[in-house]
Amino acid sequence: MALEDFKADALRCTRCSYCKWIPFDLVKSHQFAKGCPSVDYNHFHSYSAGGRLVTMLSLMQGRSEVDDTVVDVAFKCQLCGNCDVACKVCRYDMEPLAALREFRRTLNEQGRVPEVYPKLIGNLREAGNFAGLPQADKATWADGLGLKRLGAGAKAPVLFHAGCRFSFDPTLRSAVRAAANVFTKAGVDFSIDPDEACCAGKAYDMGYRDDFTTAAAANLENWATAGITTIVTPCATCYSTFKRLYPDAAGPGADTPVPEILHTTQLADRLLKDGSLKPSKRVPLSVTYHDPCHLGRQGEDYEAWNGKEVKIYGQAVVYDPPRPRYIGANGVYDAPRDVLRAIPGVELVEMERSREGAWCCGAGGNVREAYPEFNAWTAGKRVEEAKSTGAEALVTACSGCEKNFAEAVATGGIDLEVLDVLELLERSL
Amino acid sequence: MPISDEAYAALEDIVGKENVSRNPAIMDGYAFQWLADLVRPNLSHFMPRPVAAVMPASTEEVQAVVRLANKYKLKVKPHGTGWYHWAAPINDEHDTMQLDMRRMNKMEIDEKNGIAIVEPYVIHAQLHAEAIKRGWTCTIIGAGCSCSVLAAACAFAGMGPAGFWMGGHSENLLGMEWVTPSGEIVRSGSFGSGAGYVCGEGPGPSVRGVMRGSIGQRGGLGVFTRCAVKLAHWPGRTDWPVTGTVPAYRLPIDETFRVYTLAMPSWDAWADAYHKIYDNEIGFIFHRQFNLAGADLAPAFWLMYTDPTKQLSDVPAILEEPGVAELTEEMRMSFQIVLAGRSKADIELQDQVLDDILAEVGGWKVERYCEKDMAEFTNLALNRLGHKHLNFVWAGGYLGSWMQAGPPDWVKGYVPTASAGLERDAKDGLLVQCGGDAMMGPGSAYPGGGNTCLEQFVSYDPADEASTRAGIKHMEDAITDAVSIGYPPGKEAAYLEMGHSDDRIFKDWAGAKQPFTFIFQRKFKEHVDPNDVGDRMYNYIPEEYEP
Amino acid sequence: MTRDLVSLVGGTQVLDDRDVLASYASDESFVLSIKPRAVVRPGGEDEVHALVVWANRTGTPLVPVSSGAPHFYGDSVPSVPGAVMVDLSRMDKIIKVDSRNRIAVIEPGVTYRQLQPALAEEGLAIVPPLYPRANKSVVASLLERQPTLIPRYNYALTEPLRNCGVVWGNEQKFSTGESGNGVPDIETQWNAGRRLLEPKGPAQTDFFRLLTGAQGTLGIVTWASVRVQLIPDSRKTLFVSAPELDDLVDLSYRLTRLRLGDELLIVNAAYLTALLATDSAEAAVLRAALPAWTLVIGIGGRALRAGQRVAVTEQDIAGEVAARGLELQPALPGMTSSRVDAVLGGVAADPHWKLRAKGGVADIFFHTTLENAPGHLATMLRAAAAHEYPMADVGVYLQPQHQGVSYHMEFSLPYAPEDKADAAKARALYSAASRRLMAEGAAYFSRPYGEWADAVYNHDAAARDILRAVKKILDPNNILNPSKLCF
Repeated sequence: MALEDFKADALRCTRCSYCKWIPFDLVKSHQFAKGCPSVDYNHFHSYSAGGRLVTMLSLMQGRSEVDDTVVDVAFKCQLCGNCDVACKVCRYDMEPLAALREFRRTLNEQGRVPEVYPKLIGNLREAGNFAGLPQADKATWADGLGLKRLGAGAKAPVLFHAGCRFSFDPTLRSAVRAAANVFTKAGVDFSIDPDEACCAGKAYDMGYRDDFTTAAAANLENWATAGITTIVTPCATCYSTFKRLYPDAAGPGADTPVPEILHTTQLADRLLKDGSLKPSKRVPLSVTYHDPCHLGRQGEDYEAWNGKEVKIYGQAVVYDPPRPRYIGANGVYDAPRDVLRAIPGVELVEMERSREGAWCCGAGGNVREAYPEFNAWTAGKRVEEAKSTGAEALVTACSGCEKNFAEAVATGGIDLEVLDVLELLERSL
Repeated sequence: MPISDEAYAALEDIVGKENVSRNPAIMDGYAFQWLADLVRPNLSHFMPRPVAAVMPASTEEVQAVVRLANKYKLKVKPHGTGWYHWAAPINDEHDTMQLDMRRMNKMEIDEKNGIAIVEPYVIHAQLHAEAIKRGWTCTIIGAGCSCSVLAAACAFAGMGPAGFWMGGHSENLLGMEWVTPSGEIVRSGSFGSGAGYVCGEGPGPSVRGVMRGSIGQRGGLGVFTRCAVKLAHWPGRTDWPVTGTVPAYRLPIDETFRVYTLAMPSWDAWADAYHKIYDNEIGFIFHRQFNLAGADLAPAFWLMYTDPTKQLSDVPAILEEPGVAELTEEMRMSFQIVLAGRSKADIELQDQVLDDILAEVGGWKVERYCEKDMAEFTNLALNRLGHKHLNFVWAGGYLGSWMQAGPPDWVKGYVPTASAGLERDAKDGLLVQCGGDAMMGPGSAYPGGGNTCLEQFVSYDPADEASTRAGIKHMEDAITDAVSIGYPPGKEAAYLEMGHSDDRIFKDWAGAKQPFTFIFQRKFKEHVDPNDVGDRMYNYIPEEYEP
Repeated sequence: MTRDLVSLVGGTQVLDDRDVLASYASDESFVLSIKPRAVVRPGGEDEVHALVVWANRTGTPLVPVSSGAPHFYGDSVPSVPGAVMVDLSRMDKIIKVDSRNRIAVIEPGVTYRQLQPALAEEGLAIVPPLYPRANKSVVASLLERQPTLIPRYNYALTEPLRNCGVVWGNEQKFSTGESGNGVPDIETQWNAGRRLLEPKGPAQTDFFRLLTGAQGTLGIVTWASVRVQLIPDSRKTLFVSAPELDDLVDLSYRLTRLRLGDELLIVNAAYLTALLATDSAEAAVLRAALPAWTLVIGIGGRALRAGQRVAVTEQDIAGEVAARGLELQPALPGMTSSRVDAVLGGVAADPHWKLRAKGGVADIFFHTTLENAPGHLATMLRAAAAHEYPMADVGVYLQPQHQGVSYHMEFSLPYAPEDKADAAKARALYSAASRRLMAEGAAYFSRPYGEWADAVYNHDAAARDILRAVKKILDPNNILNPSKLCF
């Protein structure tokens, strides 16, 4: 891929600004109508998806050059995908999110990245994780739980992949342990990998494609060797990476196909519905649920495609074969909600911006690491929205979201408990 | 010429460093515009670049920026959401500051009196959502709910599908706050007298008379910073219970509402039907909406669109499905109508009246499109107007031609020529071939009925030079076609104008049937814009061009 | 001068008889009495144009007037000496009536007495102001933005005025609105299928809005297109009465919001008496019998299922009335609905109903929102008490406008002009009450006649600046009705 692959998109962008808002049909108030944190924070049109397409075009046509501002424009974005959903309400021929990723990759190849990126990728290359923490501590989170561990020669069809943040961050320990405990209680036969490797999704978003492809190939290889057919993860980013980015890394007809990928909420939902889990204790709590971008909008099933653009009716742009449309509607929205509704005493109240219209937590696209103020601002906005529902707790299903919200609540002195879905479920078992 | 460091530093002082830029890439974000490719040299998608982009947060900041422009001989070009090539700087010779008004985004609603007060970056979707919560609604302009209310009301047109019942923004205006190009602040009507927003006229002769006319200044004469518009009663549910899967969202139809697609046997019947709708005062929203996709393809297109699993490449197959060819013929002369009753008895009466009208003109309800799925989609699409970007759906490029407003009997007169023209211009496949009639338009362009209009939706591929040139040719042809049948040029003339030199434009205006219009406006501009910080989007002719 | 004028309009159309001049020198308002130099009665646009050219050349002020006496607001009384009255009453052609497009084109001399029957022949009517005098010019009424009776049809405060033909003070002949885009000739446009419906423009100026409220200071209108409505095939008038104005506020808000009814207006007993009473004896009976406050509700059914429309509308109105603990009545004590219908649909005979009580009247009127109306009333009554003016004589009229967003509120203060003391009291009250109402902030004097102009334009200096700039363009020599407004 190259910038030029998105030249047509850039030329076909009509500067309508749909990419800045949630789908308009869903707007229920003045306050909660915005969809794009980047343009809402940074203001200039360039910080919207449409604006980035323009910047790409401007570079392609030699009208401007890559400078620090262009780097800022490209990377100061959570890649939350709201723009993609909103644009596609009317446009069948546009792929804004893919364009934004390509923009980053192009700049990365030129060595033009945010200041913190080299350190982050250095950590992955050297320590095997972006935090640069000892890989030996990866499974510390599971101490005392008596979980099966993958070892040399051991086979296990179901692998619980905690994800790096859940693995290392002590403040998130209760959430990841709750998930493991819940599945243990349900009698699920699963293992953890004490040498769990990073999904490397962040590398993809940073534009380090080779690092990503190498990491992905290694993971797929290891899973195949271990006979893993199902990955369960509590981290939405890992979920989306495995589900949507790994198949391309695997390549068509690969010997190492991608296993079944489940989010913990999906497995929990199954277990509740087949009777393996029976929540009995009342948990009287009003909660609102935040749809993580990577579980919702970007949690749709992957569909391989290798086709071309063709025209019908003279100029109408279509694809042969038809190109899959990731409209954001078919992500994992119902499973976490069904889990919450199954917990006696829990009252679920929705935020205005939910499902494919959800406002980002702020952490995605490596914004948490590269632009901490912007990250905090974005999270603050979401916490404000959660609080406005009157709920006592903000519940979600992603390590990045949970971390961001916990910090935002603490910084803002807001009376709102931040929980993982599985944490709440555990309380009722 | 680049902006001087001194001027730029002054801008930073006024709005804050983070709210001003002169970076070339950021500037291109403002220069890039829809329709630029149709008027710029070499089909460029870029209008002239601004020398700086400034984002003021208050009227005081706007005033300071405008005064700075006077001092440093810069042009001022404000925009709301900034959609249309004239939102950008228009002349390569000018040093223009783009004022991006997005930081001025506050609104309030006077619930009791049905008045909304908005700053420039409140879009119709936000106003509509807040109004609905309170049992009010608002007219949404034809360009859709993504657009700024203030920009439409004060600086452009302001009419939309609900205009028959709810009025256009011009009729609904209750006060405007205007920073003139010389940096004075003028407030119209009661607002200027410190008496709130009750009345947009006066005092004495209406000051608002020079602020906007049939069309507004499009950023060419100062900056509007606030306005008030009146709302209309909403007799439906206030919780906005949208359902469905994107893009086929749906809004359940309240029991005192009806949503229909109506078809006519002839254009004569169409005109008769419109008059009867006017006279019988039904038609909460009344618009020829779905035909924008082209009469040959529209019925199949919308069936495709309302199925989230389908996409454009499914349209040919849908056309082959049983009944769709017949449906296409049935819907050739169709339009949409939403009836809203204030009571059960009222809506039942409206329904009977509509049936009477249909019987009198020989029209009928299009059954398939009145079924629940299509009707609920229509209900949402027309009430919120959140799918208006479907103008661009076929190939990414759209231009509107024709759209001359007049009584239905006059408008129907140009339909055959407009249809034949598009069919002719699309024949070699450089424009989307969707049937010659791809016309869309409001039931009435003025509240209470009277003038209507039909806009031809012409789809081209802006990534394809040959297709883009075909679009330009179509616009030129449309002018020729209109004049040949005794109609004035339509919307396409306004688009093309942006590519004409000042000399050509001034000569055109000097040759108008009533050139005093532009002489008056020049003289008025001389008063409020002595240093010429505005541009010719506020139309005028210099003295040397006076006939 | 007389010779000049005769050459322009013909000898029989130039009047300089002293009594005639005196009749134009004053009106029912308190403005200074200044005699004009002559009165001319042009017959058409060309003569009007010739007059304007002549006036510019000679520096002669022109004061346009279209309606016959009595005049009430001082706008057609010269404010400077040596003026020539341009009496347009001879220009009384009904140029076009189109029932399909519901538009009529009329000259300024066309009165309500003339127009309504002509329209009725086509099943049409123009929404009138409240009980206009028979010789009231329709165009003049619309130009001065007099409130009209049916708020549902008042899409903008300028309704039903659409396009105008005008001779500006700078001698330019001009057409406003959509007619300004084409050949400036009504016949040519009409034959091309245009119907002069769109009032806005041309271009970025609403020229017609500059003419409204202008008191003839910017241009002389020579024709206008006006939107007309269907005459209801079925009609009814109903009433809701209450002891306090407050009691009717919520209902009135609701009715206008739901666009229920045709005519809607609120009047107090004094105002309603003035409207209905033919003599003082009847006035006394009505004053005693009528309720303190009345909301008059007209219901009309037009086009299809007219009778059903009336029935459903009445049913819905009844529901709203009952929900507020009020009563919907077919008549009022002391009079029948048909008496009121005659007022709502007719033109008033002489002597003018406002003048019957005492011979003179001072009107204070402004725009406001309905919720502020009781407060304005209290202010007015306090002022009346302070000036020892009988509160019971204060007539109050509230006319919902602009589909209910704003209300024309009017206080009518009858007085005896022959009685110096009474006249002085009325004068003082008029000034004091006007000032107090202005100071409150919520009363907007959108039509600043006479002494209101000074206060209004000092308060809104930006408007004054803009309007003076407009005046400088459209009437650079200030020959049109000088010293009015802020000119």
